[in-house]
Amino acid sequence: MSRRDSPLLKYIVKRIFSLIPVLLGVAFIVFTLLYLTPGDPARIVLGEQATEEALSEFREKEGLNDPFLVQFGNYVWKAVTKGDIGRSYMTRRSVANEIMSAFPSTLKLALSCVIAAVLLGIPIGILSAIRQNTLFDNITRFLAIVGLSMPVFWQGVLLILLFSVKLRWFPASGFDTWATLVLPTLTLACNPLAVITRMTRSSMLEVVRQDYIRTARAKGQTEQIVIWRHALGNALIPIVTVIGLQFGSLLAGAVLTESIFSIPGVGRLMVDAIKMRDYPVVQGGVLFIAVAFSFVNLMVDLLYAWIDPRIRAQYR
Amino acid sequence: MKGKFSSKVMVLAVAALALVAIFAVPALAKDTLVIANIYDARSLDPIVQNEVAASNAICHINETLIDLTDDGRPMPLLAETFEQVDSRTYKFVLRQGVKFHNGDPFTAADVLYTIERAKSPLGSAIKQYPEIIESAEAPDDYTVIIKIKYPFTPFWGTMAHTSLAIVNKRAVEEKGDMYPLEPVGTGPFQFKEWVKNDRLTLERFEDYWGTKPAYKTLVIRSIPESVNRTIELETGAIDIAFRIPVSDVSRVKENKDLDVIGGFEHSVTYMGFNCEKEPWNNPKVREAIKLALDINGARHAVFRGTSLTPVSIVPPTIKYTDKELPAPKRDLEKAKQLLQEAGVQLPLKAQIWSNSYKPRVDLAQIFQAQLKEIGIEIEAKVLEWGAYLEGLKVGEHDMYIVGWVISSVDPDGIFSGIIHSEGGSNYSRFDDIITDALIEKGKTMPDSDRRESLYKILQARMVELNPILYLYNEENFFGVNKSVQNFHPSPRGYHNVTGVTFK
Repeated sequence: MSRRDSPLLKYIVKRIFSLIPVLLGVAFIVFTLLYLTPGDPARIVLGEQATEEALSEFREKEGLNDPFLVQFGNYVWKAVTKGDIGRSYMTRRSVANEIMSAFPSTLKLALSCVIAAVLLGIPIGILSAIRQNTLFDNITRFLAIVGLSMPVFWQGVLLILLFSVKLRWFPASGFDTWATLVLPTLTLACNPLAVITRMTRSSMLEVVRQDYIRTARAKGQTEQIVIWRHALGNALIPIVTVIGLQFGSLLAGAVLTESIFSIPGVGRLMVDAIKMRDYPVVQGGVLFIAVAFSFVNLMVDLLYAWIDPRIRAQYR
Repeated sequence: MKGKFSSKVMVLAVAALALVAIFAVPALAKDTLVIANIYDARSLDPIVQNEVAASNAICHINETLIDLTDDGRPMPLLAETFEQVDSRTYKFVLRQGVKFHNGDPFTAADVLYTIERAKSPLGSAIKQYPEIIESAEAPDDYTVIIKIKYPFTPFWGTMAHTSLAIVNKRAVEEKGDMYPLEPVGTGPFQFKEWVKNDRLTLERFEDYWGTKPAYKTLVIRSIPESVNRTIELETGAIDIAFRIPVSDVSRVKENKDLDVIGGFEHSVTYMGFNCEKEPWNNPKVREAIKLALDINGARHAVFRGTSLTPVSIVPPTIKYTDKELPAPKRDLEKAKQLLQEAGVQLPLKAQIWSNSYKPRVDLAQIFQAQLKEIGIEIEAKVLEWGAYLEGLKVGEHDMYIVGWVISSVDPDGIFSGIIHSEGGSNYSRFDDIITDALIEKGKTMPDSDRRESLYKILQARMVELNPILYLYNEENFFGVNKSVQNFHPSPRGYHNVTGVTFK
């Protein structure tokens, strides 16, 4: 009996392997940028009152006196052979632990934003397309532009003033209960909501003009089935693409939102690490974001296969 | 039917009222204190980081052998008695019956272990504290003899610093990498939970040797946005907000449920000159700049009338500060004359560097306008912290604004750090033999009138030679819920809230 190779599995494995040059490239770019950035990590990490001896010991111990390529080579070697992406200069914890302790908060926020944006954005986009150029459509498009243009910081503070200070409905900071999730989600979801709404609208407008939609209507299908089954199904590919992109960038951490609402996420971790020249955390964090983004892209590609039978057929 | 319905409703209503009466619990006494700091600690291991946020947490969990009064005098803590045996030897007799949070008894072995650990490579961030210790011995379980490398009067400050807070050897070795996240100490609070960058929860240690806190749980939150700290205070989510901005002070004061407490730290912010670079190497030029600036007016504008304009390099909270030194008075004519005498070609272009801390940026801009009046064109350059330190080390600057915190609570802390020619933070590159000799002498003299006189001479010399100009002693403000009593901010910059009670 011969074994049937699964093209889908092959594709997934190929995508995973293609991550390797991507990660190497990202690591090299980040390493170079950090190397060129002014500021002595030893002095920043140990503080102004550190002795010269302590500073020298630190630089020696962390390999900061080695040439650039030697430092980079050591980093890659340890990562590949031992899975060791270093220890934070500041906390002495492993970089992996630092990122994993921040990631759940970021994931929680990213998921809640994307879910909110999808649940609202797709129906609004569809209605906007069906009622093209009506008052509803015009208002929706206006609000989408506002959602794209509003500065996150300003929006967050306004929401805090209204809902925390004035109405006392939600807390202004923290991230331990469902109530603390509401304002950050409202703040951060506006942008992806606007993007998803606009993409849904334009994708639907393109699809509803197709012959098969006219055929479906001619056959006597209800408008509901025409829109939700025939039109939306065919319009989903670009919508899923932008949802994936939005989710991927949210996973990188929303620094401003995390700062305003005191959320202990990846964004804040990265900004602190950059300020303190905590090179291992910056490196590890960027690599992690690259992996997360690539993983989301892979999921989006697999989702295409599920949505579109033509793509699915390629994997049979 | 109607009557039956009415009686059913009546029965239900009575039953509901009865339930409410049974289960209505009278308001419980408040048992949790929530404080909000700007930053979270990076580690709860005393030797990993030298930062205020960590000390704020650690001081509740781990204790040092001695503590300091606000004016820098040693007082007992884990050491019941202590004495300076000779110029280099100190003896500590330890308190007996003290337990760690894991039940282990506190003994001299823990002190020796703590010191050895602090001096190891693990303690590179706090090396400047234990490095003066030459040896530590324990003739018995409750006595420690410490020898230091050279006579050093501020040694008490070293022993009171949180970097030498006593740790439990068994806990450190058992927990390994997890120790910084799950510390064990002898303090009034023990570790319960830490969500990094969000909140640290500590619980009262019921076997604490001293006066136990009046409340059960202490939550230290980190809220970087100052606006949010004030808002959380107003909504009652926190009881004490550290470092509320000056702009929020009046709003908090107007709130009938809140109070504002102000406090000064052992710190000074100053503008230094690069004394190796022309024309700043000429004392007349430095004096001219001092005379051209209205430092008091600038401070008043930036801090809305709060904070202080220093007359001395030694902050007013530190002993031997000379409050009688003359405050600088603006004299543009004299300034111009001095520049002429120094042979300075006008207009002169120069830069004032600062980091992005707003008060410093604002001051630099005010000075820009003031110095223009004597023909000096200033570019106020704002640098990111890492690049700033790098540039100062290299010596590319003309003038710069930084602050200095005196963690040793001794005047030597500022002179050795920023004025001595070999001071690690002497970004002014000031090199004066007499000043160096006085600093080295003052470090070793025991506290006395003679030592005070020496520091008065040093302070006067600074006013004469002007390697730096003193800009402000910043006043910090704390928003406090009126239900909170006995909160006393410490000038050391980190604040122990063990003694807080609720009304």
